[in-house]
Amino acid sequence: MTQWLTRSRASRTVAFAAVLLLGVGVAPTLASAAGVGGQASGTSSVTAGNWGVTATVTSMTFTTNTYQTSKVTNTGTIALIAQSYSVIVSNPTSGSPTFKVFQCAVAWVSNLCSGGAGAQVGGTLAKNSTTTITSTTALAAAAAVYLQVEPASVTASTTVTLSPKVTSPTQLRAAVKTNQ
Amino acid sequence: MSKHSHTVKKERSYGKIAVAGLLTTSVGLLATAGVYAGLSATATGAEQVSSGTLNLTLTPDVGVGFSNFAAKMAPGDTNNVYVNMNNTGTLASAAGMTLAIAGAPANALTNGTVPGEGLTVTATQCSVAWTLATGVCSGTTTPILATTQVSALATPVALSNIPALVAATGQVAHVQVSLGLVATETSTNGVAPGSTIQGLTTTLTYTFTEQQRTGVATNQ
Repeated sequence: MTQWLTRSRASRTVAFAAVLLLGVGVAPTLASAAGVGGQASGTSSVTAGNWGVTATVTSMTFTTNTYQTSKVTNTGTIALIAQSYSVIVSNPTSGSPTFKVFQCAVAWVSNLCSGGAGAQVGGTLAKNSTTTITSTTALAAAAAVYLQVEPASVTASTTVTLSPKVTSPTQLRAAVKTNQ
Repeated sequence: MSKHSHTVKKERSYGKIAVAGLLTTSVGLLATAGVYAGLSATATGAEQVSSGTLNLTLTPDVGVGFSNFAAKMAPGDTNNVYVNMNNTGTLASAAGMTLAIAGAPANALTNGTVPGEGLTVTATQCSVAWTLATGVCSGTTTPILATTQVSALATPVALSNIPALVAATGQVAHVQVSLGLVATETSTNGVAPGSTIQGLTTTLTYTFTEQQRTGVATNQ
């Protein structure tokens, strides 16, 4: 009985192997019957740019009406046509301070932009608010702009938080079409 | 004595029978061999056959053809290259051609990991050579691939309207391949979002594939 079983297994193994061999033999035949194909290829490399601006100071705490500044630099590789700032004004324990943001192409000196007032970005910001203001100043890669936050009516510690933002594609340079 | 004589005669008789049997068998065998030799016949015919070739080549049409883009791409930018696809084999191709694009390394520019963003490809053929300076076709344009995300071209995609230009041998297709970049991302204080296509580099391999025409049965 044991011998018969062994022979039976051996027969099955042989049959299975035969089927496998047959399959291996048939597969290439079918593949070759599909015909010939022509193929051509080419390669190109591409790199996407970066976009964004970085502010040297993003949080300013005011206890008096003294102006404070921040330098904003285009740290990306793509030129910009605009930048936005999300400005959060905290809620002081007393008083109703207001804030204005001005920008200048050069560093502020004695609260002045090349002897002037600079360009205001957005409107007047009230306490306990979150506002997005946008500047349409063009900034080449690595170029900078200088902000000055000018408070009024500060009677208690108030914090202004600036988050500079750049959104694609609307705030990036115009699209470029290249033929090469 | 008489018994001995009878035995000798009997042995001689057996010998004669054996010799006769051998002779008969030999004659029979020779006769059979002769019959077979007489029935053998051979006929031959010659037929010459040559297999065809199916070759697809990709060469610059105008400009440098597929090459590297030196500038950093911004969303909305378009980089155009101009290539000729030519069926240089001796067989016509079947109606239809496919394009597959592989990115190395595969990243968010090519694999669709940032939904709605990444590289796109558009292909358009012109009835004559393209004008490099303007990217304009002075003949008739035919779209062969609408703007498609590269991530959707990881597996071959059928092109449209190709047969008219490369189906027959020696025919050339003047094709503009436009590479675009799509991205809607906001960077905050100089930091890109967690999932971004910014600052990535990849090398794209475009593979065009054609198949031979349908097999032909000839009776002659």
